[in-house]
Amino acid sequence: MILTKHEIIKQQNKSNITIQPFVKDMLNPNSYNYRLDYELLEFDEMLDAKKESSYKVIKLTDDGYILKPNKLYLANTYEKIGSRKFVTQLIGRSSMGRLGLFLQITAPLGHVGTCHKWTLELKVVQPLKVYPMMKIGQVTFWKIKGKERNTYENGKYKQFNVPKISEFYKEIK
Amino acid sequence: MILTGSEIAKQVKKNRITITPFNEKCINPNSYNVEIGDYLKVYEDEILDSKHELKTKIIKIPEEGLVLSPNKLYLGYTKEKIGSNYFVPTITGRSSTGRLGLFVQITSDLVDIGFVGNLTFQLYAVQPLKIYKNMKIGQIMFWKPLGKIKLYNGKYQNSIGPQESKTWKDFKEKSSGNIT
Repeated sequence: MILTKHEIIKQQNKSNITIQPFVKDMLNPNSYNYRLDYELLEFDEMLDAKKESSYKVIKLTDDGYILKPNKLYLANTYEKIGSRKFVTQLIGRSSMGRLGLFLQITAPLGHVGTCHKWTLELKVVQPLKVYPMMKIGQVTFWKIKGKERNTYENGKYKQFNVPKISEFYKEIK
Repeated sequence: MILTGSEIAKQVKKNRITITPFNEKCINPNSYNVEIGDYLKVYEDEILDSKHELKTKIIKIPEEGLVLSPNKLYLGYTKEKIGSNYFVPTITGRSSTGRLGLFVQITSDLVDIGFVGNLTFQLYAVQPLKIYKNMKIGQIMFWKPLGKIKLYNGKYQNSIGPQESKTWKDFKEKSSGNIT
């Protein structure tokens, strides 16, 4: 079951859901809008899953920044988001999908028991100018079945609040 | 919880789900197949700016089909009018569509509860792909909500045909800029 706006507020008040800062205007009927933070990582042309990716950091300003097609960018949500009781799913907004912006690459699922700024995997179809602090995507919360395990507390990406590059290279040494 | 195909049909009969026109043949085990309408919309400019209202033009899909080129975004629409005040719809492609490298939505599968209208397809082809009108390129699913329901009444309500982004309106709202 997917949580409604009222249920998200209720669970946030009970600390079962964490969204910091929490602003009621950002709520939709079944989701919460997150904003784009001030930093982007841009990668070299060729990525190698076995090697730590090299990248440059781009600081966003109010003048905006044009994302180029055929490039992958990592960014993060301005908000810290997570839940110890519900599964979080991170998606884009239809308003941004209508501009051809992907916010994640077939990996919407968040693990129960994590709370941090979420890494965004940005890809555009046509060149697109984006701005820091714009409402860029949304998260939904889903009821789980079965006993929750907070083993992810020890996971690779726990509590990282900056865009986090892939750590596949640690798995396939 | 996701509704089964027979539950979708049952809820359509009870008027708790809108799918118009509704065709029993389009029901899958947990979803309903939807068709693409007759025309698409594209942005006139190559470089898009999320802060500004963008000019668009309409492209009709001819009988002989239309080739979608990679590096270009096309907006289409579901021929069906879709919505529900009781369940949360999500829209995705069919696996047959994915096997041709066509995205029909761009990380925004969620439809707000209370929305009703034609849903906009966000079309992106990985390789050049010819599409035809009335193709069943997508599927909708319906999910049970948890908690008190507040219905959608936003900027895309009652959409007819493909709707371009209205995100530029967010930049005009004072409320979006007053939080640090």
